[in-house]
Parts: sequence; C-alpha cells; structure tokens
Amino acid sequence: MAMIEVKNLTKRYRDRIAIDGLNFSVGEGEILGFLGPNGAGKTTTMRILTGFLPASEGTAQIAGFDVFEHPMEVKRRLGYLPETPPLYLEMTVRSYLEFVARLKGIRGKGLDTEIARVSELTGVKLVLDRVIQNLSKGYRQRVGVAQALLNNPPVLILDEPTEGLDPTQRAEVRSLIRGLAGKHTVILSTHLLTEVTMTCEKVLIINQGKIVAFDEIKNLATAYGQTEQVSLEEIFIKLTAA
Amino acid sequence: MRNALTIARKELSIYFTTPWAYVVFTLMLGISSFFFVAYLENFKQVQMMARAMSWARLPPDWGMYKNLTDGLVVPLWNVVMIVTLFVAPFLSMRLFAEEKRHKTFELLMTSPVRPMEIVVGKYLGGLGAITATLGLTIVFPAVLSIFGRSESGSALEWSTVLLGYGGLLLWGAACMAVGMFLSSLTESQMIAAFLTFAVLLPWMLLKGLAQSAEEPLRSIVNYLSFDSQLQNMAKGVLDLKSLVFFASVILLCVLLTQRAVEAQRWA
Repeated sequence: MAMIEVKNLTKRYRDRIAIDGLNFSVGEGEILGFLGPNGAGKTTTMRILTGFLPASEGTAQIAGFDVFEHPMEVKRRLGYLPETPPLYLEMTVRSYLEFVARLKGIRGKGLDTEIARVSELTGVKLVLDRVIQNLSKGYRQRVGVAQALLNNPPVLILDEPTEGLDPTQRAEVRSLIRGLAGKHTVILSTHLLTEVTMTCEKVLIINQGKIVAFDEIKNLATAYGQTEQVSLEEIFIKLTAA
Repeated sequence: MRNALTIARKELSIYFTTPWAYVVFTLMLGISSFFFVAYLENFKQVQMMARAMSWARLPPDWGMYKNLTDGLVVPLWNVVMIVTLFVAPFLSMRLFAEEKRHKTFELLMTSPVRPMEIVVGKYLGGLGAITATLGLTIVFPAVLSIFGRSESGSALEWSTVLLGYGGLLLWGAACMAVGMFLSSLTESQMIAAFLTFAVLLPWMLLKGLAQSAEEPLRSIVNYLSFDSQLQNMAKGVLDLKSLVFFASVILLCVLLTQRAVEAQRWA
C-alpha cells in the first residue's frame, strides 16, 4: 500500500497556480527525492501534505487518511521539517525537544529516552543544554531534523534538510536519511542534486507546478541521456528549461 | 487538555526568559508606586486638616478620605487599571504574531494538537503573565494593613480591597483575550499591540458615549463599557452582571481566536 497518495492536487493563490494537478504516490519505506527550481511549488506541496495548507482541488492521503478530512490521524503519523526550522530561539535544545515531544504525546519515562535517541541520531547531544539562539545554522538545522524524528513517525517530510550544513554535516544527515529507508517513508526536497543521487532511488521533478519527471533515477538516465553516465544535473536542466 | 497545559508552560517559560515580562513588571510597579506615594501623601494631608478643623468643615466629597480603603486603595486600583490597559497589549502581542513571524506556527499546526488546545494553552500562558504582573500590586494594600492604623478595627476593609482586585484581574484577563485574538490576525507584533490598544481604550471609555445617547441605547452602551463594570467592583459592589460580562468577552475572544487559527486550514 502507498503511504503517500496524491491525486490531482492543485493549489491556487488567487489567479496564480502554484501547483497544477499533481499525481504521485510513495510506497512504504521509500525515499523520494523532490526536485524543482525555486518557486516550482515544492514547499506548497509539502505544506498541503502536512495539513498546514488546504488544497484548492484534489486529495492527498497519508497512511490511508485524507489530510483534510482526518488531520489528527495524519499529524500523529507525520514528522515534518519545514523550510525554516521551527525553533523557539529562547529555549534550550533540550527544553525545545521536550516541548515538541509532549505535543506529540510522549510523556513520562519515554521522554528522556526519546530525546536521547534523536539527539544521538542527529548529533546534537553536545548542545542539548545550550540556548538555540546561540547555535550555528548547521546545529539549528539539525535540531529541526531531530524534532521531526521525535516519536519515530512512519512518514517524514523534510523540506531541504541539508540546507546550511557544511560538507561533513551534509554527509552525516545524508547517511542518517539513508538509514531511515525501509522503516520510514520519506519525502525529501533539496536543491542539491548530488544529494538525491546519493540518498534516493526515485525522484519527482516539478517545474512551474507541474510534474515533469517521476521515475527511478536509473530509468531517467536512460530515457533522457545518451549514455548511462548522464548526470541528474543535466536531466534536471533539460527538464526545467522549458 | 494536557496539550494546552504543555503549550501554556512553554508560553510562560518564554515570557520569563525574555526581558518583556520584566520590563512590564517594572513599569507596573514603578508607575503604581509613584501614585501610591502621591495618594498616601494626599491622604495624610487631608487627615491632618480634618484633625485640625473636624470633618464637618471640609468639603463633603472628602468623606472618602475617612478611611484608607476608599481614600487610597480604590483610587490606586483605578491607576493600576489604566496601567494594565497600556501594558497588557505588550504581553499579548507576541502570543500568535511571534509564532507566525518565526515560522513556529507551522510546527504547532502540524503537531497532533487541536486548534482549540493551542488557543487555550496560549491564553492560559498569557493569563499567567498578566496575573503575575497584577499580583505584584497586592504589595500596596499589604503594606497599608501592616503599617496602617484605624480607630475602629483593621486599617483596611479587605472585602472591598479584594473585590476591586478581583475586578482588576478580570480586566487583565479580558485585555489578554482581546489582545490574543488581534495577535492571531497578524504577523507583526507591533500591529497586534497597537490594534489591541486601539480596541481596548475606546471600549473602556464607552461610558462617556452613553451620556449623549438615549434610552434604551444608553443602558446597553453603559453595560458594554468596561469602565462602568469595573467601577462597581472597585467600590466593592459585586454584581453577577459584571461577572457575566467579563466571562462573555473572554469566551467570545477565545472562540474568535480559535476560528482565526482554524481558518489557516481553509485559507
């Protein structure tokens, strides 16, 4: 069964069409790379999937629940890292993670274990007692990822999780995301195409609100390139040039 | 409901880790202390004149200076009420506007929490902040009751003092409710604070408008005015109508905020 099922999803802001009739599905345990130039509608799509924005037309289902009809069921199964990590700058990392964990329904003994688990995974263990305001951009981003992983949700929606990280940190987050495959269904948007080739098997490329490609990377390479060695970057430029 | 308490706790901890709450506390205590001392001086002078000349020869409306409660605490509560009008918008403005500006609203809205729980949690947090601010002013009647002397019994008539204080708390709670609703409509804290003030000030002074109106409009406007509701309580008259009035204002604002938050899902 598909964990994420999107049918004819359309979002209009007055006259402007942000996304136009998207259809795609992501199977359980898959990692989908979500690509597109700036303003193509990636963030809008992710916001609709998380129930933060309503769709103008079409439906989106997460784990079989419609995001608009059953928002609570969907939110319970979802970890979301928005474009800007949603951090309370005045709080320490620990109290922030405690707050989010409580909102996700983790209480009592499980709280400390869960915070220890996600901070270990994202490498924020050493900064747990520091105030978020004083952290570097890379650490803030990782706290954002840690927050999404709390309560081990089956579906993860990550809007540019490696933004602002240095190459080493990027490699760490990449391997973290690769490690999620199989257990979690992940949608991951990014600008960095190498990121996608290294973490995802499948990509979805949108341009001006429309899907221009939705396939496995190796199929794209044979379909659009003359050789097997054609890079995703060349395919991306070709597809979004129109 | 546990989610609401989690949010309320977070709100309170942010209030007390940022300078805002302390600035508000300082303003509240500074301004009310100034008036407390001025009123106390005034009270002492009238008492001395009365001793020299007897009450009968003083203007009749000076009768309120016969005891500390009417001569000092009631006017002081009026000052605290005005200060609350000015400081409450600064406490309420951040409730939703800040979350929207810092994009943390997205976190709240995508967490498994109902919009009503978010609103109630935020309101309880704001209520905690305004109660703490007003709580500081209880020091003035406390000082009076320790050092004050009266010819008959205790220096203060505590039932009047506390009823006036209860009125202040209700007023603070209503200010926070109005402020929270307006904060949920904008991303800008300054606009939220300004709008709150712009709504509360005329609403409080609605009584002035009532004078020029005819019945039955006059009674309605009078009833809707914060000032007329509060004056009764400040004088120590407990009226069920006032309680209903404040409860309705607060409930209405909480419901409106819930609609504003819920509207996000439909925008």
